[in-house]
Amino acid sequence: MKTVKSILTICLCLGSALLVYGQDLSPKDIIRKADEKFNGEKTGIATMAMTIVRPTWERTIEFKNWTSGREYALTLITSPAKDKGQSFLKRHQEMWNWNPTISRLIKLPPSMMSQGWMGSDYTNDDILKESSVVNDYDHKIVGEEEYDGRTCYKIKMVAKEDAAVIWGHQVRWIDKKDFLFLKSELYDEDGFLVRTELGSEIKTMDGRLIPSRIELIPAEEEGQMTIIEIKEMKFNEPIKDGFFSQQNMKRVR
Amino acid sequence: MNNLKLAWRNLWRNRRRTLITSASIFFAVFFALVMRSIQLGSYDHMYKNAIESYTGYIQVQHKDFWDEKIVDNTFAYDQQLEKQLLADENVEATIPRFESFALASNGPQTKGVLVMGVDPAKEVHLSNVTDKLVKYRLTPKVIEKIQQDPNLPEKVKELAVLFENSAYTNSSRLQLDLGIDDKKASELMPAIETHAVYKNGSIHLGEPGVWVGDKLSQYLQLGIGDTIVLISQGYHATTAAGKYEIKGIVKIPLPDIDNKIVYLPLDVCQGLFNAEGKLTSLALAMKENQDKAIAQTVQRISAVVSENQKVMEWQEMNEVMVSQMEADDKGGQIMLGILYLVIAFGVFGTVLMLTAERKREFGVLVAIGMQKKKLASIMTMEMLLISLIGIIAGALVASILILYGVEHPIIFKGETAKIFEDYGMEPKMVFWNIDTYYISQMVIVAFMVLLSIIYPMRKIFGMKVVNALRA
Repeated sequence: MKTVKSILTICLCLGSALLVYGQDLSPKDIIRKADEKFNGEKTGIATMAMTIVRPTWERTIEFKNWTSGREYALTLITSPAKDKGQSFLKRHQEMWNWNPTISRLIKLPPSMMSQGWMGSDYTNDDILKESSVVNDYDHKIVGEEEYDGRTCYKIKMVAKEDAAVIWGHQVRWIDKKDFLFLKSELYDEDGFLVRTELGSEIKTMDGRLIPSRIELIPAEEEGQMTIIEIKEMKFNEPIKDGFFSQQNMKRVR
Repeated sequence: MNNLKLAWRNLWRNRRRTLITSASIFFAVFFALVMRSIQLGSYDHMYKNAIESYTGYIQVQHKDFWDEKIVDNTFAYDQQLEKQLLADENVEATIPRFESFALASNGPQTKGVLVMGVDPAKEVHLSNVTDKLVKYRLTPKVIEKIQQDPNLPEKVKELAVLFENSAYTNSSRLQLDLGIDDKKASELMPAIETHAVYKNGSIHLGEPGVWVGDKLSQYLQLGIGDTIVLISQGYHATTAAGKYEIKGIVKIPLPDIDNKIVYLPLDVCQGLFNAEGKLTSLALAMKENQDKAIAQTVQRISAVVSENQKVMEWQEMNEVMVSQMEADDKGGQIMLGILYLVIAFGVFGTVLMLTAERKREFGVLVAIGMQKKKLASIMTMEMLLISLIGIIAGALVASILILYGVEHPIIFKGETAKIFEDYGMEPKMVFWNIDTYYISQMVIVAFMVLLSIIYPMRKIFGMKVVNALRA
């Protein structure tokens, strides 16, 4: 009897889960799925190139990025030669920067979270993922729209009152089939558009379909843009928490 | 002519009255001139300090650099431009600089600093940093040595404690601070100099190493041989970070600069900011530095530089200082105004008295047939003569003092000097040479006298002879 009961329960659970999957997902679940798809459920390792475009010049920085959940992140600059070896570490609420030229470990104060990372349009907060798109916002589906030939959920996310985020609200376009962030609009507290993020060149990486090119366009600065190209990405490789340490910041390659 | 003779004789009829009136005019002119001279002299001295130890009279910059002082707003240091600038008749030398801001740190101490990449050999033409290296310093150890030296007088030991940690770029300032007379200098100074001597190394192009301002070195607790860490944003948003050995300590006469300046060799500084071959400014050393000559040079040079470059004059670059001085100047003028007001009433007082005293005399003169017009003109001449005596005497004495002061500026010593230094001023009072300001001061005083003549004129013309005779 017991076995039958448990089998039944499992079946019911699976069934309802399938139902949920097939039918209406809650907006929060859509965001979570898309977020986890891009960042990995447990861990993620990525090699990326960032191109900073300015009206009179542009510059490319290459870096590697390790993340484990929301709590830990480590970023290592690999190119150009002058910046190579610099690393950034996030552990829980705290962040550090290691600079090998001066052998200094610098703690980044929370007040610097909204400042540009390595001179780009990305803020330190974007790189270190201090805030969470899932937990720090209230989500609402506001419609369905076509973007780049794909049908997307259009979700409006309003920052929770007590959340430590730098945006007032965001509007995100998420691919219905593959749960990809294709377009995002980020607004400040006063409702002004601050930047637009566009995902394109969808590729398969480590068995997942993800946009491999992300363009970040600030609304106010003409001729400015930051492009991130993902060269390689691995998901859910085991990384020990001890990897994200100040000692490792100096060693990691 | 006759009138003038009469007026002159009248003056010396009552010598004391004449002298008192001229004396009040004398003091008005004397104080006004000396005050103005010191004021103008100290402005000029401060400007010169700022210009010669920092900005220079003219700089060529990237057109956006002044408004947004970031290392992206730089220009290439090209030989062609340098040649063209040097071809100008008034340009003595071009001094390449790379200037930016950084965070400087030593252990837990951190401070925002002004980083200046210089070519030490070329700076000789303008800021002459090498001259500003600290040569003597009264460290606690040095003071202890001075205390134990049996040959030194007590007063010197006391003053040495007062000036603890002061740095000196020459021995004469050290001598003044320690209150040593020139007579005793030859006997006392050698001992003190050996106690307090401070050894600096030099910086050269191509060799990492820095000079830091005296006040900054004290804040960061850095000495020669220590390492300073600099971190900033470089060219095109790269990271600029480096650590350098401190080769020397410089003392800049501007406290605002002294507490934040770090000198690097030009190429090392460009390397730090990833801006090889770039300059933030090209300062020009002038042969003639009068305002007019500079304005003309600016005009000529503006035609030479390319369109993304800009020629800046020292007034623009020292805007804060210029407006501070202007405010101070206005304050000084108000003080002068008050001085004039007091003197004007003094002069008017004597004139009033004089007129009252001589009422009877006037009455008699008119009664025996002197024309009122003639009487008035004699009276006017008397007043003009009195004021002339006062003005000439005042200007003469002031000139002697000013001419002496120009050659020998007042330099304070001992405790007084300390007070000046605590306010961030150089303990020095400089005079401005005899100049156009003389004319305005003298004209104002003459005008004052003319105003006070109105009263006796009215009295004379409105006089009733009968009443006057009875006075």
